[in-house]
Amino acid sequence: MTDPKLRFLVVDDFSTMRRIVRNLLKELSYTDVDEAEDGVMALQKLKAEKFDFVVSDWNMPNMTGIELLKSIRSDDGLKHLPVLMVTAEAKKENIIEAAQCGASGYVVKPFTAATLSEKLTKIFQNIERAGVRP
Amino acid sequence: MIQSYEEQLAANVYFDRSFKLETAKLLPGEYYVTDRNMMLVTVLGSCVAACVRDPRHGIGGMNHFMLPDSAGDGASPVSNSARYGTYAMEILINQLIKLGARREALEAKVFGGGNVLRGLTIANVGQRNADFVLEFLAAEQIPVRGRDLVGEWPRKVHYFPADGRVLMKKLQPPMHNDTIYVREVEYRSRLVTAKVAGVVELYA
Repeated sequence: MTDPKLRFLVVDDFSTMRRIVRNLLKELSYTDVDEAEDGVMALQKLKAEKFDFVVSDWNMPNMTGIELLKSIRSDDGLKHLPVLMVTAEAKKENIIEAAQCGASGYVVKPFTAATLSEKLTKIFQNIERAGVRP
Repeated sequence: MIQSYEEQLAANVYFDRSFKLETAKLLPGEYYVTDRNMMLVTVLGSCVAACVRDPRHGIGGMNHFMLPDSAGDGASPVSNSARYGTYAMEILINQLIKLGARREALEAKVFGGGNVLRGLTIANVGQRNADFVLEFLAAEQIPVRGRDLVGEWPRKVHYFPADGRVLMKKLQPPMHNDTIYVREVEYRSRLVTAKVAGVVELYA
């Protein structure tokens, strides 16, 4: 189930945070990772290349993570992509908004590789249960 | 949801009579951001404070943090313990951006990292904190306009985000009391015991 060939897009305006997520994914043996520094750049990459999974921050200049999530869910070519929100926003209204907009999971920073692994596994299980392959 | 360790907005805001300014006093683990003419004050032992502002808009803020104890993984911004520091910096910068600061205009001044927590298992606590904050700012391309780091002294920092000025006083040991020491040890133990990881279940 944890297919190391899966291609990830990590979206965060902090290069340090992109490196952290990339390292954590590597610890989980996912090595095919690309990065984008905001939602606009992420959407360009998602439309131009094939990705299997999006890990996105919330607060970013130009286009926020929640706007990116809405754009993904309203695009016929992208709407089945799993999107994991990884964010410093721990407020209830943020979490509810993310769920309503179709986030596949939500992790509050700071977090560990174990947390990320747990969330990814759960998301893959949900996808399998729904019968949709990423 | 599981509650992880969270950075707190400084709760202590008062009017400073000698500076004639509204003032926020930051304790370890706190941050404060403002777009008004205020003074931000903190006292640092081995913790560090980053004073970050957008000079064009007069929006600025400060944090006060240290890396949790984590033997052997150094100050690299992607190490386990530094993940907490990255989070502390991100919270501050996100709040500045929410007030209208522009990411590419940000500049910083950094203070603290004194070698004042003697007797703790890790001798270079202050140095690690200082190394971390400089590496983080370099990686995020936020220029450092001023610094006073490491050494043997606690420091009292007054920051004026409206114009970026800092007044800093090195506190000479022996201290009259051990408040700084006690607060840092207490903060440090909170970081160790808190679960530095947060998960929210969207689907059961």
